[in-house]
Amino acid sequence: MNLSHFEALFVFAFFVSTVFGLITKTTPKEQFRYGAFVFCSFLGVAIVVGWLMFPLPW
Amino acid sequence: MSNAYSPNPAPEPENKIVGLRQLNLGLALAISFSGFIIPGLGHILMGRWIRGAMLALAIGLMFLIGLSMQGELYVSDLSQTPLRLFGFFADVGVGLMYWLAEHARLGTGNMSARTYDYGTTYLWVCGLLNYLAIMDAFDIARGRKP
Repeated sequence: MNLSHFEALFVFAFFVSTVFGLITKTTPKEQFRYGAFVFCSFLGVAIVVGWLMFPLPW
Repeated sequence: MSNAYSPNPAPEPENKIVGLRQLNLGLALAISFSGFIIPGLGHILMGRWIRGAMLALAIGLMFLIGLSMQGELYVSDLSQTPLRLFGFFADVGVGLMYWLAEHARLGTGNMSARTYDYGTTYLWVCGLLNYLAIMDAFDIARGRKP
């Protein structure tokens, strides 16, 4: 499997947020909301940090 | 006259969360161990089918994707550097799948592959996630959470 960096990040965030949501919350609604929050946080932080590092010369 | 200060007050329930089933320690450990062998099995044995199936699916798929990305499964070799032992601890968390992959000589890792680092990280993290799932199953079995 030859995923790009973003695709690998996306899949990674999906699975990790699924497990986090399942084991930290009790009701399905809470699990979905928390999982979605963790997933968006993964992607958002990665994109922001990626852009912050973009101008660095090394 | 109120009996709030009666000499023999009713004993407080041991578990403050009402309605939770509490299994004995041995059974809780056995259920947790089954979750170590096959991810999600501990939850399934306690009747939490959907949660167990989703955990099994997420952790199992992550493991398979990690292998297909040519990630490396670390082996238990005490002569190697300590950091690799941490990697072994993380990898072995998926239980049976680790041993099957190891015996099938999968997960040898290809450092020249672009996805090697991601694949190895997938393999670590799915093992670590299963440790969390095992602790979750133990807490449920002991009646600490619903």
